[in-house]
Amino acid sequence: MNVFKSLGSGAVRALRSWKCVLIVWFVTLLIVSLFVIPVKGIMKTGFGSSTITELLRNGINIDVILDLEKYLSGIISYLASGLFLFLLIGIIVYSFFAGGLFKSVSNPAETLSVPCFFRASAKYFWYCLGLWFMISLIILISGVLIIGLPVGLISQSEKSAGNLLPIAAIVCGSLFIIWLLILLLVADYSRAWLISAEKPALFKAFGFGFSTTFSHFGPSFLMMLMIMILMVLFGWLASSIIGIWKPETGGGVFILFLVSQLLFFIKIMLKTWRYGSVTTLMEINKTLTQ
Amino acid sequence: MFKKAILVAATITAAGLLHAQIINKVPLSQRITGYTIDVKLDTAAKTVSGSIDAFWVNNSPDKVPDIQLHMYMNAFKSKNTTLYRESGGSPGKKESDKGWINLISFTDRRGNDLIPLMRFISPDDDNPADSTVLRVMLPEPVKPGDTVYIHAEFETKLPSRIRRTGFAGEFFFVAQWFPKFGVYEPAGMRYREKSGWNCHQFHANSEFYANHSVYDVKITLPERYVVGSGGIVMNESPAGSNLKTLSVRAEDIVDFAWTAWPGYEVYTDRWEHVDITLLLPGVRKKQVERQFTAVKNALEYFAETVGPYPWPHLTFVDPPTIGAGAGGMEYTTLFTSISSDRMPEWLHLPEMVTVHEFGHAYFMGILATNEFEEPWMDEGMNSFWEARIMDHYWGENSGLINHPRLQIADKSYSRNAYVRSANRQVITNNEYSWNYPAGTYGMMSYNKVTVWLYTLMGIIGEETTNEVFREYYRQWAFKHPAGQDFINVVNEVVQRIHGNKFGPDMNWFFEQTLYGTGICDYKAAGYRNIRIASEKEKAEDDSLSKDKPGRNDSLYKAIVQMHRLGEVILPVEVLIHFENGDEILEIWDGRDRYKELTYTGHGKVKWFKIDPEYKIRMDVNFINNSLTAEPDNVPVRRITNKLISLMQFYLSIITL
Repeated sequence: MNVFKSLGSGAVRALRSWKCVLIVWFVTLLIVSLFVIPVKGIMKTGFGSSTITELLRNGINIDVILDLEKYLSGIISYLASGLFLFLLIGIIVYSFFAGGLFKSVSNPAETLSVPCFFRASAKYFWYCLGLWFMISLIILISGVLIIGLPVGLISQSEKSAGNLLPIAAIVCGSLFIIWLLILLLVADYSRAWLISAEKPALFKAFGFGFSTTFSHFGPSFLMMLMIMILMVLFGWLASSIIGIWKPETGGGVFILFLVSQLLFFIKIMLKTWRYGSVTTLMEINKTLTQ
Repeated sequence: MFKKAILVAATITAAGLLHAQIINKVPLSQRITGYTIDVKLDTAAKTVSGSIDAFWVNNSPDKVPDIQLHMYMNAFKSKNTTLYRESGGSPGKKESDKGWINLISFTDRRGNDLIPLMRFISPDDDNPADSTVLRVMLPEPVKPGDTVYIHAEFETKLPSRIRRTGFAGEFFFVAQWFPKFGVYEPAGMRYREKSGWNCHQFHANSEFYANHSVYDVKITLPERYVVGSGGIVMNESPAGSNLKTLSVRAEDIVDFAWTAWPGYEVYTDRWEHVDITLLLPGVRKKQVERQFTAVKNALEYFAETVGPYPWPHLTFVDPPTIGAGAGGMEYTTLFTSISSDRMPEWLHLPEMVTVHEFGHAYFMGILATNEFEEPWMDEGMNSFWEARIMDHYWGENSGLINHPRLQIADKSYSRNAYVRSANRQVITNNEYSWNYPAGTYGMMSYNKVTVWLYTLMGIIGEETTNEVFREYYRQWAFKHPAGQDFINVVNEVVQRIHGNKFGPDMNWFFEQTLYGTGICDYKAAGYRNIRIASEKEKAEDDSLSKDKPGRNDSLYKAIVQMHRLGEVILPVEVLIHFENGDEILEIWDGRDRYKELTYTGHGKVKWFKIDPEYKIRMDVNFINNSLTAEPDNVPVRRITNKLISLMQFYLSIITL
């Protein structure tokens, strides 16, 4: 029951935070566009005044793309070298906004003003960045341990008919996904605690995240599972729409842009809903404990 | 003496049987060689041992003093063999990893011991550590028309690192496993000035060359093993101690291989007169329909465009993961495909490999070209047909990959492998397979040939191309043609269909593509529309025409400029489109480095394209083939938009 209550309250809190979500969406678009727009420039230069782009109307044509030659090499080296900087900036910005978003969903009755959103973002930036770093490191290491090691060992020692490897990959992959959901809960509980704490502290938050996740594992995991299933379905839907849609006119491309940005806005809204739901559940857990 | 008489009688009986018609109604080939083999597979020792009776008919006008035999399995004997020297690998550290073939006894029809008369030779590289070619000086030379009979007891140890042949656990793929005659080529055959044996060593980058033969093979092995081979099982009988003996016969094929594994499941199907058998691991049941569809499509396409598949049987194998090294290889009426337990429908890899390996039945099996010396005639031609079949049946733009978000044609794969290779000009296609510099064999033998055959088809037309291959098949099936024989067929057919449209012959094409290293690159350099005095202006003093309303009779001199950047000269079409909707299609012979086309009329050039249908697939850059004043940037904007969305979602996911 608490799960559904949390999900409902989380949705309301997320909707109240629409302004904050809008800011996150806009800043993300800005960063990504700054990174991607040069690619467009290189491609346009590469194709020059050729009519060859008509072969791209129905999607990627490998003959055409690979004939870009030095321009394609330019795009690849640009993306490869720029990706690190892009991700770094992205992680910093998102860690910055994470504090603001958690703050915005912390009070169900009040809509956070834009200045308060930025203030909260700034206040909790380093904590959120530290938490991101620790959780990401755990994900990376556990990925190697849960998937890489067993699958690698089996593939090296395989002497049977070859059935074991795919089964092992599926089992290990499923275990890793379960573990990933648990780590997301830890991250969210930690950040929710930071916002509510009088004296925020990184490792205290981290400890709280773990202890709350496992002390209220059933409802927490169930809720996270439901949210993630929904998010995955949404991600699949969004990527299908964006991936398969091939507008052939300038107007069509503009509509594609609008739709894809709307879908991304919804994506951030869903993430905020997750933050709100975990925050609500934490509050409920706290009330129950008291 | 009595023993010798029995041996003579036995070999003659065996030879008689080999000439008998059991599978094919009439012999498809000359059957210059034949083999009767009786072996036992020792699954513990990983050996195949037994006896072989074989013959070779001297159909040359020469007295031949010797015979030469391939002892391919010795390539896996040490890291110093030519195979491993060229590949940089090793057969493995343990003795059980290695492969070899030993002759325990070796006699001729009179019972003469041939062992003292034999020695290993290395005709290609003088490598003393290589023992893959055996030369036997005969007690007396073989007269024209005479037959040499040999009898040997032999033992073959299979290697553990499967390189087409070998074992892995209980899986066996037994290929290149018995002493096999080279091809004796009389003067005048292929490029021969003097008669002699064509018997090359086992190389890293080479396949094989052999006479069409009849094989009668008895294989004894544990009962629980499922066997597939290039022949038809004539009899299966228990051999005691949980063993069974299979008697297999194959006619008019150039190689006999077989596989044994307890985990195979056997499926059968039929296409017209051909009984098709598929062996694959049980977990790949979902691949069965895909595999049969692929092979039946290939049978149909080859029958329509090249010639009939002459055998009534065909077996193909999708090896288990542990035997993946045996995948993707051809033995005429037996071939191996590649797939995995879970293969998405949109990825046509199993189909592609099946179509490709089946195609070898024509180029390696029926035409039986020399793959050592002219690899392009098998791998190249076959890759061309593979691409045509894949794109024909699985979509013109999606022969290889047909995903809603990405489609790749098979022909695009070949073109890009050649066009994007930094080594595309370092060597010609006219080279022995082992002479290709590192990393160029596949690109040259498979991809470049595919690309220039597509280009040839673009020039002479699809139906003429089919007729070329039909004629090639009619003239040369089971006769070992050389490259020049194929060119002669092209010249003959093109002349018959098109007259002198492309000149007296097509040699100019092959000199540049097959024998040349040049690249092909045509460029649309520019165009201008120069307004010249109109009739109206000229007649501006003419009071009658001056005042006619709405008349736009401006005259333009439109100049289209083209460059030939590459060395290869090919005729290309040029399509010029005018603003008033008019279009002119020209043929440019491509000879000049710079070419201008001038048109005077009422239309301004809007765009023009060299090779508008992209038929000259050798052209290394399609982008510079056209020019327009209004390039369509919509696809670029669409790609950019999608990239933005992708990065946004990715960033949101990784930031928790």
